Amino acid sequence: MEKLLTLENVNVSYVNKEKKVYAVRNVSFSIEKGDSLGIVGESGSGKSTLAMALLRLHNENLTEITGKALFSGKNLLEITQEEMNELRWQDISVVFQKAMNALSPVHRIGEQVEDIYHIHVPQASKKEIEERMIKLLKLVNLPERVYRLYPHEMSGGMLQRVAIAVSLLHDPKLVIFDEATTALDVVTQGQILEEVVQMEKEMDMTRIMITHDMSVVAASCNKVAVLYAGELMEVGYVKDIFKNPMHPYTQGLLNSFPSLKGECEVLHAIPGFLPDLSKPSEGCIFAPRCPHADDRCRREKPVQQTMKDTRQVACWLHQGGEENE
Amino acid sequence: MKKISIKKIWKTIVGDKQLLAGVIGLIVLLILALAAPVFATEDPYHFGKDMLVGLGENGHILGTNHMGQDVYSMIIYGIRTSLRVAVISALISGALGVLIGGVGGFFGGKVDTFVSELINVFMMLPSFFLILLIVAMFGNSITNVMIVIGITTWPSNAKLMRAQALSLRERVFVKSARAMGETKRQILFKYIIPNGIFPVIANTTMGMSNAILTEAGLSFLGLGDPGIISWGQMIYTGKQYITSAWWISAFAGVAIVITVLVFYLLGDGLNHVLDPKYSKKRG
Amino acid sequence: MKKFVIRRALTGILTIIIVFALNFVIIQMAPGDPITTLMGKENNSPEMRAALEEKYGLDKPLPMQLVSYLQTAMKGDLGTSIIYNRPVSEMIGEKVGATVLLGLTAALLAAVIGTIMGIFAARRQGGAYDAVSSGVSYAFNSMPAFWLGLMLIILFSSILGWFPSYGMTDNRASYTGMAYVADVLKHMFLPVLTLTLVLIPQYFRIAKSSVLQTSNEDFITTLRATGMSEKKIFNKYIFRNAILPTITIFGISMAYLITGVTLIEIVFAWPGMGRLMMTAITQRDYPTLMGIYLIMSISVAVVMLIVDIVYAMLDPRIRYE
Repeated sequence: MEKLLTLENVNVSYVNKEKKVYAVRNVSFSIEKGDSLGIVGESGSGKSTLAMALLRLHNENLTEITGKALFSGKNLLEITQEEMNELRWQDISVVFQKAMNALSPVHRIGEQVEDIYHIHVPQASKKEIEERMIKLLKLVNLPERVYRLYPHEMSGGMLQRVAIAVSLLHDPKLVIFDEATTALDVVTQGQILEEVVQMEKEMDMTRIMITHDMSVVAASCNKVAVLYAGELMEVGYVKDIFKNPMHPYTQGLLNSFPSLKGECEVLHAIPGFLPDLSKPSEGCIFAPRCPHADDRCRREKPVQQTMKDTRQVACWLHQGGEENE
Repeated sequence: MKKISIKKIWKTIVGDKQLLAGVIGLIVLLILALAAPVFATEDPYHFGKDMLVGLGENGHILGTNHMGQDVYSMIIYGIRTSLRVAVISALISGALGVLIGGVGGFFGGKVDTFVSELINVFMMLPSFFLILLIVAMFGNSITNVMIVIGITTWPSNAKLMRAQALSLRERVFVKSARAMGETKRQILFKYIIPNGIFPVIANTTMGMSNAILTEAGLSFLGLGDPGIISWGQMIYTGKQYITSAWWISAFAGVAIVITVLVFYLLGDGLNHVLDPKYSKKRG
Repeated sequence: MKKFVIRRALTGILTIIIVFALNFVIIQMAPGDPITTLMGKENNSPEMRAALEEKYGLDKPLPMQLVSYLQTAMKGDLGTSIIYNRPVSEMIGEKVGATVLLGLTAALLAAVIGTIMGIFAARRQGGAYDAVSSGVSYAFNSMPAFWLGLMLIILFSSILGWFPSYGMTDNRASYTGMAYVADVLKHMFLPVLTLTLVLIPQYFRIAKSSVLQTSNEDFITTLRATGMSEKKIFNKYIFRNAILPTITIFGISMAYLITGVTLIEIVFAWPGMGRLMMTAITQRDYPTLMGIYLIMSISVAVVMLIVDIVYAMLDPRIRYE
């Protein structure tokens, strides 16, 4: 399959007068066309930082970025904002978490859609844009009249659907959902995820789903990348990882969420806290909380091992390649 | 309630530039006010022979007025008046605001509807004219002035306290106190007011600035207390001599600006420190 | 929206009724009997006393007195001046134009200048311009307007001699047409400058903080993610959202404005309500004083109502819960 986005050794740090926080460290993975990749991690794992860096929406004065993120031959982390603006919305779009604030409260949806559409297609007529948007609104099961409403006249679920529809205006190659369904109730979240999956089947769309919720990944992604404290623990197909999580952290995460099949299990929280991200870490970053950690884990950083071509894991337990499979 | 150590208070004050400036200013003003006889070069109530003498002449640093009073000494003594007006009227206004707003927000229902409507109405009224009317009719002693300023400026405090009480009412510790059978009055004074009073404190400090300006405005209209020395009155009397003896009005005004500024800085600083929204920046 | 306007109008009416009631209470509570308060101490005519008693129903119980007081006031009868023996409403009517001219000019100037300054400060937050303008705004916010007026007189009239410090027109010359307008403008300059300077800080602060706040909203991040230019984001989206609080401030600062105007009129001998008030204070002309208070309160209530309606038209979120 054709690679759409390839990350190589991406580091993102926040720098201010007093200290430097290493929010994302040495992250490498790639997404193929048509993939839907879930990036999972608890808060502070660097998943949103990574998304903002890929979108180049971070505060450039306070952030240091190294590494590569190749997208159609361009390094997203290095191109100018002007070049980035060319990609924005036409090739890469985003749906943010707080749908309630994702649109200007004093302008009608239609007016905002027109402005957004005109950025890249200035000659488009009002009618053309309206028709396009209404088509997209139908895809997310919203009525036409939404086009003439103000944001406050809609519910959170409706607004999130509008935000999704807006993100698809120019048929982007990649859509990033940054905790896009977190603020919704479980039922609405389920419905929207279903719609998104359905839509993807109809359109040629690749998606990154940033979430802290394993069940969102289970319901809507084919691949998953597990982040912990800014480092990539494990990445691979959802079906493989959910069946057989290799990294102790992934095992912990999967244990701490209820099985979708409704079996009654005891849920285990992972003991301990996130490490201090302002210090460069030695050894495996998860070692202090890991039940299997030994001296080597605390001393040396594990290398990312490729398992069965499609799966990577960063853990000393799995150094021998595919022996544990 | 949290225990607050002196060290922590010190750290907070030094950490906020505006608060630090305000605290230093306040300390200086307090020292000048308390030790006024030490700093003043003359008795400000003494009518000397030198009338309308200019800056530095005959030992009068800032000149004299038409009655021969020493302007510099008057300004030093004027601090006392301004601070007194500021503190007493702000205390009255704060206490009324906390009580009215607290009762409205905590009791809710019809009481709250009444209180919030009352607040709305009084926020609309130009309070300066009400103060002026009352002082003109009931007499212009400084005590009257302070009381009237206090009882006409409570609405903004009440508004803040009401909002606090409304949210505190839903908190677990208040609900559990209720479940344990404490009376509404006990809860109001033990939990609601102590926990919700911080924004009111900051606002009251700002209110002190306004009280000083109001007193000055009244004095400028000739409604000041003739028995005391106040900066507003100095400006009022100096107005007639504005072209010949400008120093009478000018320096009194500078004193007002500085004092009002000190309280604004204090209030703003307190707002930053006491409002968690300010201290925790995004992310 | 409609409900909101009705609600606000009701509050406005309630405010006016409360102002009348307050006036009534003050008359009742003031030292001496109400009739003396309304007639003046020097006046002893028994006919007038009887007429006043009849008009306000002073022989009836208190609540009835309040009702008859409200009735007369609603008819536009604000009583008679002790000193000039003329209806208070008529005297105020003559002066109100000059006051409105001064106040409105300054308020509009301050709103425009303050808002522009605030927006610039927010755009260059942390820079030298921000630091200087914020500091200056603090200082002017702490100034008694009447004192600033006196200082400007020293500078522009006494020392430089550029502008007149007294009155609305030159009494020695009787200008007509454009010359008259020019003369008034010249006389207006200093009082308007003073008022504008003390009013600017409020608009400056609110514009600065609301631009900063709006710039941090999530929808601005969304718009950036769409590739919209910073210029368009600012000119359309930030500006439109950030301007709303300024409109509210325009209403809220009305009371402050009116206070400032009256005091400034006294400084510059501007023939408006402030001057009338000063004379009333010195002569203990209570009916006039009360009439001024009533008119001021009513105008503030009306202006705030208008501002609220304008706000409701601009902010689609307005709903009254």
